[in-house]
Amino acid sequence: MTRLLLKNFVRAKGLMLGLLLLFIAGCISLYIGHRFIEQNKETVEQSAHFQQENIERYVEYNQSSIGTLLYYLRFGLVHQAPHLVGLAIGQRDINPSVISVNIRNLEEQKYTSALMNPMYQLLGNMDFSFVLLYFFPLIIIAFCYNLVSEEKEEGIWDMILSQTAQPLQMLSIKLGIRFASVMGVLLLLLTLAGLGLNIPLDKAFVSFCLVAIVYVVFWFCLTCLVISFHLSSSQNALVLLLSWISLTLILPASVHALSTYLYPIPEAYGTVLESRDGYHTQWDKPKEPTIAQFHAQYPQFSSYNHPSDQEFSWLWYFAMQQMGDQHAANDAKVLAEKLRARGAFSQAMGWVIPTIHTQLSLNSLSQSDLLHHLHFLEALEDFHEDKRLYFYPKIFENAAVAEEDWSDFGLAFHQKPLEISGAQTVLPPLLASFLLLFLARMNWRMKMFIEKN
Amino acid sequence: MQTRTVGLLAKQVWRNTVKNRSTIWLFGVFNLLLLCALLSGYQYMHSQQLLALENSEEVRERWVNNPDKHPHRMAHYGYVAFRQKYPLSFFDFGMDSYVGNVIFLEAHRQNTVNFSAASLSNGLLRLGEISAGMVLQLLVPLLLFFWGFSLVASEREKGTLKIVLIQNVSAVELIAGRALGLFYLSTVVFLPTAIIGGILLGLSDLGLTSIGLYGRFILLLIAYVFYFGLLSWLAVLISAYSSSSRASLIRLIGCWLFFTLMLPKVSQLVGQTLYPAPTKIEFDTAVEEELIQHGDSHNPNDPHFQALKDSLLRAYGVESPQELPFNYSGYVMREGEKLSAETYQRHQENLVGIYQKQQQVVRLTAMLNPYLAIKNLSMAFSGTDYSAFKDFQEQTETYRYTLAQTMNELQIQHISNKVESSADKKAIISRQHWEDLPDFQHQFLSLGQVIRQESISIISLMVWGLGLFLVTNRFAQHLKAF
Repeated sequence: MTRLLLKNFVRAKGLMLGLLLLFIAGCISLYIGHRFIEQNKETVEQSAHFQQENIERYVEYNQSSIGTLLYYLRFGLVHQAPHLVGLAIGQRDINPSVISVNIRNLEEQKYTSALMNPMYQLLGNMDFSFVLLYFFPLIIIAFCYNLVSEEKEEGIWDMILSQTAQPLQMLSIKLGIRFASVMGVLLLLLTLAGLGLNIPLDKAFVSFCLVAIVYVVFWFCLTCLVISFHLSSSQNALVLLLSWISLTLILPASVHALSTYLYPIPEAYGTVLESRDGYHTQWDKPKEPTIAQFHAQYPQFSSYNHPSDQEFSWLWYFAMQQMGDQHAANDAKVLAEKLRARGAFSQAMGWVIPTIHTQLSLNSLSQSDLLHHLHFLEALEDFHEDKRLYFYPKIFENAAVAEEDWSDFGLAFHQKPLEISGAQTVLPPLLASFLLLFLARMNWRMKMFIEKN
Repeated sequence: MQTRTVGLLAKQVWRNTVKNRSTIWLFGVFNLLLLCALLSGYQYMHSQQLLALENSEEVRERWVNNPDKHPHRMAHYGYVAFRQKYPLSFFDFGMDSYVGNVIFLEAHRQNTVNFSAASLSNGLLRLGEISAGMVLQLLVPLLLFFWGFSLVASEREKGTLKIVLIQNVSAVELIAGRALGLFYLSTVVFLPTAIIGGILLGLSDLGLTSIGLYGRFILLLIAYVFYFGLLSWLAVLISAYSSSSRASLIRLIGCWLFFTLMLPKVSQLVGQTLYPAPTKIEFDTAVEEELIQHGDSHNPNDPHFQALKDSLLRAYGVESPQELPFNYSGYVMREGEKLSAETYQRHQENLVGIYQKQQQVVRLTAMLNPYLAIKNLSMAFSGTDYSAFKDFQEQTETYRYTLAQTMNELQIQHISNKVESSADKKAIISRQHWEDLPDFQHQFLSLGQVIRQESISIISLMVWGLGLFLVTNRFAQHLKAF
């Protein structure tokens, strides 16, 4: 029987065409991923090159004052992306992957956005995660929606019932063939991705593949449940299509809207206003309190003081800049907390909505999600602080510019070590799948029982 | 063509569909979805707008309350501008979430517009946003296709098509009647939305009621009505053309997938490949390099500024810049600001040009894709398209330039040429001058500008209407009755 069903499947032109379309869409998505990785690489190379040039130029012009020089100099930190990012670009096309900062107040520089055509951000990338999330379920639906109903509608079902004692077995084989073919395309695409995008076969990639596989399993289970109700073909199609729309469009969008409603972030604007006032108002105030606060923050620099016979000193200037960050610190902290809360809320919703879970897991594994960006911003804070601490004593002593080896200041790189929260990566959709499959079996038994009697 | 027959055929579609219990459910679900989308969109717009207004007031207050000081310090203190929400933006979010909301405006530097909603969200935003526009553009077509796929095809399958056609009903009348019936159905979903949308628009008292707001809303509604008309017609035409209702359903769903999911994403890839845009670092470096070539006011030995100094000294017949009758460093800064702003402007225009070419590729596919046409049109009328953002960006740059140059002028006029530093008592001017600088007011594009921008989308919808009409006429002669 298996052989015949297989023959039947291979000869169905529509089904083969579906698989082919899926494969082509997958290949396009891999190309898009490849392009993204290359562009990212280019941006990093450019940044390294321009930074070097920039430093050389300013060093040449500002030999006399290291303070003036460091007013201008910018140092870049790269948010490194694993090659896996080519499969799930996530928020990486919105958040910049290189941020260059000078040692002045950080808050004004931290949230700078990359240059991007917003039309493209709106239309979105057709990366692999998109193909997986949207196209795979559609093909699964198209393959399975009429498995029983069509036989019924064409009058074959009664013949089948009379000829085999186990119609469920036949159905399982049919489903099995379809499952194997879709899974085959998925694994083929993942293999191509691994080879084409040079993705190392590490824990992240393996987890990524598992998430993708479980997602496909989930959709098969959902389809099984729907067809187990023995509705007509068009009713099946309607129910499945509505599930697809709800799961891929409406529910994620609602959860997103809900997360912005529950966690509004007026603090984002606060960081702008506070850091600006925190710094600029210092100009109109007596210098002593500003410097005292600076000394309180950095006792190691208490030996440096503002020369009382002068109007201006770099110590005072950078102490003022420091006030900008200090004034905005609270808003910045709340901003990060609320962003984390938004992330946690969506993650929690992922337990009940497999599409959300899959998208977030894929983004997280390819380090293109919000949490990784927040981590990068934290690393940027440390990076900025390190630069400050390194240069402050030199500026306050007005060390000679020539003494420093400026060619040492290349780009710095940040990548968060991979953290995979074992069970959570695949468990929620897997549980949902088991539940659906269980219900489908129960339902099937009941229907068959009714039909027999 | 007899209008009575068409009306009768349309009424039949209505009656047969409404008879079905699932139709009532679908009416309910879609209306509920649209109601939620409208209300949540309105709530979001309202809260964002209030936040922007509050912050704008705060910025103004802080600006005005600055004490007497050197004008250049005020130039650096700068201004913060917030993007206002167009009162119709609740209807269609468009690109609103992807463009920045706040920009710090200071002398010498053009900052980016930051804190887009997208930068504050995790990956879910990329799965789409729910707004009334999204439901109407994306989901209602699917609903129409679902109601419409079998309208002619199943009659052929059942054999009733023959009976209809021999009763002196022409094929064109049949298609027009069925399409009209389908269109009636769409109004059940659309009319409540239009009414509630209108009410919310009337409620939105955000102090922004600009001329043309209602005009834009009405045009928006007309565009949607036209869109639904087109899709109804398309659905019936495909149904009539297909051999079975199943084939018709597959074709229609295929069209939907291709037009809404595939084509927009592929066209953006083509656009990006054809017209590569510079990255931020490339852009900044290009501006900087050109500025250095033109004259670097930070380089004391720069030939451009050296020449400027020499000519000034000659013209006033003095030995050193300190003897000039006006503030020399203010003069240099005015010149530097002019140069840097011009250079930046040129690069910015170039960048925007590239973006617009990229968008033009997407827009041209709108000729083939009514979904993109309505999407562009709806965004434009709702004030959430790229040109609205671009316009805001230009207004902020104009304001920034005015602010910096006003402060430079104040310095040239009022600050003595002899002062050593900006902290000097003689280097301070009255805070009255801060108040003299008008507040930043974000103005929206006029209706005429919007229509000009989106002429391609309007033409595209017209072309689709005309095309369907011609195809129907041609095809009607070959309509198979069985």
